[in-house]
Amino acid sequence: MTARLREVLHTAAADVPAYPVYEQALASARRHRRRTVLAAGAALVLVAVAGLVLPLAGTPAVDRAAGADAALPDRVGVPPFGSLHATDWPRLGPASVIFTGQAPGLMYGDEGSIITLVGADADRYRIIKGEIEAQAGGDTVLSPDGRLVAFRSVGLAPRVEIVDLVTGRSRTVSSGVPGTVLTGPAGWSPDGRALIVWDTVPANPERSAYRQMLSIVWLDGERRTRLADESEGLAWPAFAPDGARLAFQTGRTVTVTELDGRRLSSFTLAPETELAGKGAWSTDGRALTVTRRDGDSWSLRRVDPATGRDLGAIDTPAVSGVTAIRLLGWAADGSAWVVAYQPAPDAPGAFNAPLEMDQRLAYGNVGSVRVLALRRGAEAPTTLLTAPQDVVSIDVSNDVIHSGRTRDASPPHGVGPRFWYWGVLITVLVAGIAAYRNREGLALWLHNRRTRQARRLGGRSS
Amino acid sequence: MTETFHQFVVHRSPALSRAAYLLTGDHQLAEDLLQNALARTYRHWRRIHGGDPEAYVRRVMYHQQVSWWRRRRFAERLESQPTDRAGDDHSDATALRLSLAVALRQLTPRQRAVVVLRFYEDLTESQVAEVLGCSVGTVKRHSHDAVRRLRAIAPDLVDRTAQRSPR
Repeated sequence: MTARLREVLHTAAADVPAYPVYEQALASARRHRRRTVLAAGAALVLVAVAGLVLPLAGTPAVDRAAGADAALPDRVGVPPFGSLHATDWPRLGPASVIFTGQAPGLMYGDEGSIITLVGADADRYRIIKGEIEAQAGGDTVLSPDGRLVAFRSVGLAPRVEIVDLVTGRSRTVSSGVPGTVLTGPAGWSPDGRALIVWDTVPANPERSAYRQMLSIVWLDGERRTRLADESEGLAWPAFAPDGARLAFQTGRTVTVTELDGRRLSSFTLAPETELAGKGAWSTDGRALTVTRRDGDSWSLRRVDPATGRDLGAIDTPAVSGVTAIRLLGWAADGSAWVVAYQPAPDAPGAFNAPLEMDQRLAYGNVGSVRVLALRRGAEAPTTLLTAPQDVVSIDVSNDVIHSGRTRDASPPHGVGPRFWYWGVLITVLVAGIAAYRNREGLALWLHNRRTRQARRLGGRSS
Repeated sequence: MTETFHQFVVHRSPALSRAAYLLTGDHQLAEDLLQNALARTYRHWRRIHGGDPEAYVRRVMYHQQVSWWRRRRFAERLESQPTDRAGDDHSDATALRLSLAVALRQLTPRQRAVVVLRFYEDLTESQVAEVLGCSVGTVKRHSHDAVRRLRAIAPDLVDRTAQRSPR
């Protein structure tokens, strides 16, 4: 029944000449091989580029020189769009400064904070995405050596996240307080092995009142010690230089404890004075520093840590025109390094009148921050670091503070490495998709080009 | 290695050209099809030259012919000149080839491949299924549909009775 079809097929095929395709087949095969090699090379280059800017596993060598030359930059800037993250490669290594704010580039999503980290000895910037209104020096703290950053972990579970800037690894810790609804870090021990953690816990089933709790969490094994369980707000714990004692303020009361929670002393602060900050202890550990506001002017005073007795004013210049100051620590030359919180132009608060400290540092009230050196006997503060408008909080590593070193800074601008990485990747991807979608046209164009070349070559040879 | 491949092409290209022509129904498309299949064969020559390279080339040709890529690629290709013109040669063979080419173009690429494999290469349905990588049932269906379609388009290519019947 199909014999006729077979016969027709053979008859039709009999006249078909042998196509002269040998040379063209070889050329086509070699062209394909060249393209494969080129594509493999391009892929290798892409992988190499990706390796430069993407987070990769592995621990790079620690740049010890960076820590040794740590210095305070004389200014900071908003991190460029596409900045590397703290866990990206190459690692940052120890940081000198961290800061947060509400300027464009310092927030993500609806209200999330971008925590910016500046390298110890150079203007290398990294970022971490943190919780809403993160406050550097408050609930976002840099370890004394600048290697670890602790902050409120993003997510529903109340946890503290710690990022190691040398290894890029991150871990979470909890205070172990049952029923906590909010938790965050408050300060590092001088050796960086323990973290002070605060918790907010409902005081009753109706949640009409809350308790504030303070704990020490040792990071090697997460041993925990409860320090305080108060109904009033907690502020700025300060470790003594020997690391054996801790002072913290609850309401108007300052408490000094040992690290096992044993209370050594407790006293009430005088009006308009506050425990000065993480650098509140004198370098010899014999006195505590408090800030005192007189109208618009803030100054430093010493108090006895055992009794709270006023030991007199420190001969450092007063700071005016700020919402508050916070003592970071003492430099090698004896000067006090403080953060001065500049009021926002449209801040609703009146800062020369009594006001809760958390209100003085609130995002809505602070316009910018500066780091000042209050030198002994000086008439006016020396500005060490300036920040752009809407940078509202800053923390400096203890190593940098104690060294007293500063450096000229040139914050990065333009766009960051992540922008270029994703830009190249997306461009390649879009080009690939476009080539795929137009493959017929592309194949036709290539075919016609080859045909034209073959005709041209044929024309020349004849 | 190149000489061996060269010898293979010299010896087998007439038969391969014929199969390529039947698959495409067009000399230029057939030349492209064979060229691509041979280029691919050359890239893998080290691996396949010890076996049955011709079977490999044929398999590549059949697969390329039924692949969407080649179908789309050449369906829209612009021809500056017709590759077969009836006016060039009025012989019966040419008329038959043109008639066959027109008829084959009415088939789907897979139907055309099945027709060539079954009725030109004289493979069994199982062998066709193996070459095309489909089931025997699929081969039967394509074969049945192809013959029925050819019979409807050009009955004289399929049935002798139709050839003899007056038009």
